[in-house]
Amino acid sequence: MRPARGNCSARRLIFLLPFVLAPLFNLPTTASPPQKNSNEELLVLPGEIGRSGGRLVVALRAEPKTLNPLIAIDAPSREVIGTMQADLVHINRATQLTEPALAKSWKISPDGLRYTLVLRRGLKFSDGYPLDVDDVLFTFRVYLDENVRAPQRDLLMFDGKPLKVRKLDSQTILFELPKAYGVAERLFDGLAILPRHLLEKPYEEGKIGQLGALTMPPNQWAGLGPFRVKEYVAGERLVLERNPYYWKTDEKGNRLPYLDELVFLFVPSADAQVLRFQSGETDVISRLGAENFSLLSGQKGDYTMVDAGPGLEYNFLFFNLSDPTQKTPAEIVQRQKWFREVKFRQAVSAALDREAIVRLVYQGRGTPLWGLVTPGNRRWQDGKLPHPARSLERARALLKEAGFSWTTASSGESALIDSGGKTVEFSIITSSSNADRAKMAALVQDDLKQLGMRVQIVPLEFRSLLDRVTQTKAYDACILGIASFDADPNSDINVWLSSGGAHLWNPSQAHPLTPWEAEIDRLIDEQMYAQTFEQRKKLYDRAQELLWEYQPMIFLASPDILTGAKKSVGSFRPAVLEPCVLWNVEQLNFKNNAINAAR
Amino acid sequence: MRYLLRRSAHAAFLLLGVSLLAFAFTVLAPGSYFDEMRLNPQIAPETIAALRSRYELDRPLPVRYLHWVSWLLHGDMGFSFAYNTPVAPLLLVRARNTLLLSVTAMLLAWGVALPLGIWSAEHLGHLPDRVLSWGVAALLVIPDLALALGLLVIAVKLGRLPTGGMVSLDFETLSTFGKARDLLLHMALPVAALVLSVLPLLVRHVRAAVAEVLVAPFLLAAEGHGIARRTLLYRYALPAAANPLISLFGFSIATLLSGSLLIEVVMSWPGLGPFLLEAILARDIYVVIGGVMLSTLFLVGGNFLADLLLYWADPRIRTETSA
Amino acid sequence: MRGRRAISAWLLLLVALHALVLFAGFFAPYDPTEQDRKNPYLPPMRLHFVDSQGHFHARPFAFRLKPREGSFEHHEEDTTRALALKFMVRGANYRLLGLLPSRLHLFGAESEKIYLLGSDAYGRDQLSRFLYGGRISLFAGLLGAGVTVLLGLCVGAAAGYYGGWRDDLLMRIAELFLALPWLYLLFALRAFLPLAVSPLEAFLLIIAVLGAVGWARPARLVRGVVLSAKERDFVRAARGFGATDRYLLRRHILPATSSVLLTQAAILVPQFILAEMTLSFLGLGVPEPVPSWGNLLSSLQQYSVLVSYWWMYLPALIMLPFFLGYLGLGSELQERTEPFKIGR
Repeated sequence: MRPARGNCSARRLIFLLPFVLAPLFNLPTTASPPQKNSNEELLVLPGEIGRSGGRLVVALRAEPKTLNPLIAIDAPSREVIGTMQADLVHINRATQLTEPALAKSWKISPDGLRYTLVLRRGLKFSDGYPLDVDDVLFTFRVYLDENVRAPQRDLLMFDGKPLKVRKLDSQTILFELPKAYGVAERLFDGLAILPRHLLEKPYEEGKIGQLGALTMPPNQWAGLGPFRVKEYVAGERLVLERNPYYWKTDEKGNRLPYLDELVFLFVPSADAQVLRFQSGETDVISRLGAENFSLLSGQKGDYTMVDAGPGLEYNFLFFNLSDPTQKTPAEIVQRQKWFREVKFRQAVSAALDREAIVRLVYQGRGTPLWGLVTPGNRRWQDGKLPHPARSLERARALLKEAGFSWTTASSGESALIDSGGKTVEFSIITSSSNADRAKMAALVQDDLKQLGMRVQIVPLEFRSLLDRVTQTKAYDACILGIASFDADPNSDINVWLSSGGAHLWNPSQAHPLTPWEAEIDRLIDEQMYAQTFEQRKKLYDRAQELLWEYQPMIFLASPDILTGAKKSVGSFRPAVLEPCVLWNVEQLNFKNNAINAAR
Repeated sequence: MRYLLRRSAHAAFLLLGVSLLAFAFTVLAPGSYFDEMRLNPQIAPETIAALRSRYELDRPLPVRYLHWVSWLLHGDMGFSFAYNTPVAPLLLVRARNTLLLSVTAMLLAWGVALPLGIWSAEHLGHLPDRVLSWGVAALLVIPDLALALGLLVIAVKLGRLPTGGMVSLDFETLSTFGKARDLLLHMALPVAALVLSVLPLLVRHVRAAVAEVLVAPFLLAAEGHGIARRTLLYRYALPAAANPLISLFGFSIATLLSGSLLIEVVMSWPGLGPFLLEAILARDIYVVIGGVMLSTLFLVGGNFLADLLLYWADPRIRTETSA
Repeated sequence: MRGRRAISAWLLLLVALHALVLFAGFFAPYDPTEQDRKNPYLPPMRLHFVDSQGHFHARPFAFRLKPREGSFEHHEEDTTRALALKFMVRGANYRLLGLLPSRLHLFGAESEKIYLLGSDAYGRDQLSRFLYGGRISLFAGLLGAGVTVLLGLCVGAAAGYYGGWRDDLLMRIAELFLALPWLYLLFALRAFLPLAVSPLEAFLLIIAVLGAVGWARPARLVRGVVLSAKERDFVRAARGFGATDRYLLRRHILPATSSVLLTQAAILVPQFILAEMTLSFLGLGVPEPVPSWGNLLSSLQQYSVLVSYWWMYLPALIMLPFFLGYLGLGSELQERTEPFKIGR
């Protein structure tokens, strides 16, 4: 331990030098607008210059539950918090690469264990309080505190050991990782820096988890994001106003964001969201279904519809490969014999008409899928993965090899039977609240009927489905979708690792059940700590190929990200990463203020 | 007095039974609020276990029930997992919005159903009655959701009415008159959808009840005496037909909180509907139980009112009870 | 006498409609689960007698539909490809009344499918789905309504007639049933059921669940009527003459409830058919790909379907006569059973 530490401080000194000097060199380019305090190190965003003013109205599917990033786990809360908070390093949703945020620069030690971040100088929270290194230290202390139970904590733990944070000087912070980490600075994305001046006291009283209710007076809450709370009406809307202290400007030196107000309306039904967009009550719309997208595209309106291309959502079918317990029903244990047969799964995969899914479910606005990494993830997709067309012959041949045969059932249809003479019958559960997946299930059912398999579709309400898949394991097969929140492989780590909770076909295993799962575990673990992109990519490709070979997840299709905005909204550039539409909310603006004022 | 005591005993029994059963169901229903986190790659299973134990989800049912009752006695309806705040304020502000909508709709629905039903009964078997029957049948076939969506589509086409929410964004800046107008405009569609969805049932019942008494001897006699048609229908026939209608009115009150659930969701009305639906699906159990208890209170109230009305309207019951 | 004629008319209508549904295999041209993935959301084909050259044909025919240039959803008639309608053709296998295997269909077309009511999202024939769907839905609705009304009648009559503590107890239980969060109970119920439920089991379940849930409402209505009926003078007089409870209930009191009950029943049948949509959401409804009226109607709950594909309304429109039949029959019967009715 000791020599290592000495080593570390020596190295730190060396690579610190550039950072101490950096601000000096950077000064001319990050020149602050004349009216601003000259020691503010603001970030200049390239891009078209917009007009200031206006109110952007967005619909949310559900009410946000809290503004406190320490307890927020639901999507609407996170979306709202994303516009009110800022992180040290940010992933650009369009390029999918990291870029400086509150930290104007960073450096990683060659062994990948030490990250040195330099904070921008002179920044202020939305309530006017200055930001300093102590806020950052406080933030990470809270995230790592076991008693707070923040969801962020698990991200900052490596093999059970926490990340260490130290202040080097008034602008510089050192993060020490217990183990080198391939994802590197992407780690910091989404970790909101918290206002110490507001939260330290509640934190010490152990009450930090109770803060951030939407009903809280706006002046008791602050962040570093482009917007801050103005008004909340329960069940109806949340109104945010421009943060006058925001730390980004456009190329002309206008302080961002352009918008005066950002309004979130709570519109619980997807169809109602479409209607409100159509009637002009909301300005942008995202997460559109393909049918509603075609509908809006087909009508003449004062809006443009944008198909942002394939997203990161992958839909897949998987069979129950879990270890049977005492409670598992006998008939499921019996059927698992089929499911465990690799050739059976390969046959199912070969028999599926993925093109039809894309055509009928997504009206062509999607991509057939053969692996977990979608075409939307340009950097990480394995180009070598085969994309075989549907082939019932191959499926039949595979089944025959595995000892299955066919008889004529009493109804006159041919039925698949296993070597023991038992008819192959099973059920597929899907989430009843997701119409797209229910449709996929109906198509899969019909495809498998061609193989003589008798399949029942059981739509279940989502919690019941999850309970069956992750807890009771009382199911045969399931169709589900997962949307990666980041392009990096580590965003899907819980799916890959056999110990992961989202390793759905057999979740949370103590030890990998099969050799190929053990191999995947090893590959994923190795890529997590590998240093270069090429090394990681190689390992990750291999893992994708293993998944294809053993087909524990039979991938179906990935939908495009479908969005729309009023023609008057400027800088509207939807991305495939969440939040697809609001990722550049500070740049969104109204091209024509006259229209906006009239509303 | 004795009657009031008995009524309160009933209410207490009902609340107790409902709360017990509601609790039992929450345990039987698969999954818990924290289950969805299991799919989140960022959250470790230990975190979920810790959250579960913090909120006592791993404790046995009787313990949780007793805790809940003791909270209730202190005026606390429990805690929402999702909002991380007490349940009562969350429920109350939304219940107010729901009531605004459903009371208006109920009054309007009865106001329309009574004359329509009577009119239909008067022309029993003739053309007006037939036409009305067709209309009622058509309304019955349309699913509530499609009805609400259809109204919204029309609103979008017309471009006059707002397609959701309760007030406009600039509500606060409006004058008193402007506020009232704005609120009414926003209420128009959900109220219309609600009225249309309950109307078939009400009209059928009013028609049946009135048709029954119209041929009663005392009315035929009254008709023979040359009493005006209107007076006959509204002064004599309607009170005589009141009995089943009053029970139905009791139901209307009982469903004030729960009847508009789907329509609130589609019309994004900030009421209990979307809130409870989300809580049910997310297994935010104390919110669900709170909502159930609140609507049980309305049921009790509705029954009480119906009994009072029955007592007042039907002299035979009155004489029996006082005897 | 007018009443009796009206009743027979309504009955005749209902019998005819039910026969259509009962012999769905024969009247429906295709297997309701057969997908035609090239033809999703095909509008209904129109039947013609005159072809593009202006010649008249005694045998009706339709034109093949092709997508309009540059459009995904709009179709137009391909007048070069006529599909003649043939009667009494051989087609998909089915079992008449669930027993007799047969391949005979009332009509069909050679070589290609003909969609008289259009097709759904998977290219399945809507007409066939409507006819087959009626089998499950109508019986579920009828039986469900029957169970509910019967239970409601028994409980309501007992409570209203006997009064006292029995009344109190029964009515408290009824209130309990009205107040319970049913959605939650159904979640719980689903957890205890095996996943693969056959359509028949699903159908029985629907009845059981709906019957169990629904009885409280008619019970309360019946009780109200019984309470006032038993205080009527002629009932009191009969009791004074020493009539037994059974006699009183049967002759004087239960007939008085018939109006409320018939009204309830007539409304419950359509309501139960619609209730299946809610149950489907919980995985308790009729499972895909088996058609039912509930799942035919539930596609109308999607905005895009509602405004883009008008022919998806047609099933709802054809259901109308069925429901009208029930409502009409209900009100005619109610008139006839009216206790005070004096020959008019």
